[in-house]
Amino acid sequence: MATHPLATDVDGAAAAGRPRPAVTGPAAHGAGSILIDRVSIEFDAARLLVVDDVSLEIKAGEFVSIVGPSGCGKTTLLNLAAGLLPAEVARGTMLVGGKPPRKGNRDIAYMLARDALSPWRTALGNAELGAEIRGVPAGERRTHARELLDRVGLKGFEDTYPKALSQGMRQRVALARTFALDSPILLMDEPFGALDAQTKLQLEDVLLGLWQQQKRTVVFITHDLSEAVSMSDRVVVMSPRPARIIADIDIPLERPRSVRALQKDPLFHRIYAEVWARLEEGLTA
Amino acid sequence: MTGVTWPRWLIWAVRIVVLVLFFSAWEWAARAGHLAPVLFGRPSGIAEFLYQEIFVTGSLLVDFGYTIVATVLAFTSGSVAGILIGMLFVTRPNLEAVFGPIVLALNSMPRIALVPLFLIWFGLGIGSKVAIGFSLTFFIVLTNTVAGGRGVNPDHITIAETLGASRGQIFYKFTLPSAVPVIFNGLRLGLVFSLLGVIGGEIIASEHGLGGTLELMAASFNTDGVLGIIILLALVGVLITWGMTAIEARLLKWR
Repeated sequence: MATHPLATDVDGAAAAGRPRPAVTGPAAHGAGSILIDRVSIEFDAARLLVVDDVSLEIKAGEFVSIVGPSGCGKTTLLNLAAGLLPAEVARGTMLVGGKPPRKGNRDIAYMLARDALSPWRTALGNAELGAEIRGVPAGERRTHARELLDRVGLKGFEDTYPKALSQGMRQRVALARTFALDSPILLMDEPFGALDAQTKLQLEDVLLGLWQQQKRTVVFITHDLSEAVSMSDRVVVMSPRPARIIADIDIPLERPRSVRALQKDPLFHRIYAEVWARLEEGLTA
Repeated sequence: MTGVTWPRWLIWAVRIVVLVLFFSAWEWAARAGHLAPVLFGRPSGIAEFLYQEIFVTGSLLVDFGYTIVATVLAFTSGSVAGILIGMLFVTRPNLEAVFGPIVLALNSMPRIALVPLFLIWFGLGIGSKVAIGFSLTFFIVLTNTVAGGRGVNPDHITIAETLGASRGQIFYKFTLPSAVPVIFNGLRLGLVFSLLGVIGGEIIASEHGLGGTLELMAASFNTDGVLGIIILLALVGVLITWGMTAIEARLLKWR
């Protein structure tokens, strides 16, 4: 496979039997980092290999998108990191913030495509839910939740119940709930996948705004390549099931970015085309 | 399809006109000899009966009191037990696996056939009526509580688990609130069935209560009395349902 100007070295590393990604000192394993080393996930009951020998290193503060076809196993990988899968389905090593994954890890905030708001809680009640469960005192979490609702553009909607909010607004609340946690790692599973194109662009900018200010690690799963390229530092492309990494591409767009402004930027479109070419190349190889 | 567009007063006005027309037609048919009053009663006769028994002798009020007290006791005991056992089943699936079929079998017994036994066990008084109402309400509320507890959104559980929620937190912050609307449907139905069980028991054998009086009236061909009591019970049913709806609207304003 020819080296590509945008490529880093990781693609096909495991398949080609090349050495694992080098361990670059203790910093790489600290809070906010994720290390995935030759991880395979197989569900014994169904004899189903979902993730096949994946190695990936995500540094603290990095925004990494994982793209791949629906049902390829991206979510399974994310669920493993969040400790939602029983340990025995996975082989290999995964370290989240330097520790093996476990359910309820305070280093992790998780966000889904569906807003998963509690309909019996107001926007404010939902925004503070995560912090509430993690035992943050009421006054503190409420102040923080109000701030975040303001940041995601929902000032004045604090006392509104989800039924009276549009889908985009509900996902803004879910974004506020996620950022109201002080976790250094955000795992986002197609958080904007169910939104219309306009709302999606708005929320991508809201997310980028929050992230650029706070520099937490984001692992962002999507099947929308444009979304991945416009937001990320790196785009990891996965194959259909069983998921393997077929490309790991740095995105040399400047920060801070605006997703909406990028839509008209020729450099963005050039990078997008190149990543797309890599994706096709990987899928047909 | 559009929703309701008439103002409230108009809806009430039309409703009252329809009822007045219905009772007038009935009254006219009875007076003109088209409907035999001994079989179908007469609205003026029914009104006369209700006025006499409620405001003059007050005997119907005493019966009414017995029936309501029995209904309230049956409803509260049945629903508290139903919610508690239901939640136990939701949080302890093993218990439900063991007792689920037994509960189903118990609930499949025709309650009306058990009334003679309840009378022997609990006597002719209020105890047997409460037992019948309880035996109906308990299973209805239990079934709804289990269904409500099962209906928790799996996304909520995923989020709760990534947040590190304890079993207690998952129960109080997710399972219970998402079960409340379904439990409420059970309570609404349970209240109606409590009343039904109590009246049914009273009709079969009792010392006091509207059901007993109803049976007495029917045996002596007092059709106006029978219909009067039935209308009274219908009014009670409407009031109960309105009350439950009002409570529900306050408690579940997020819906």
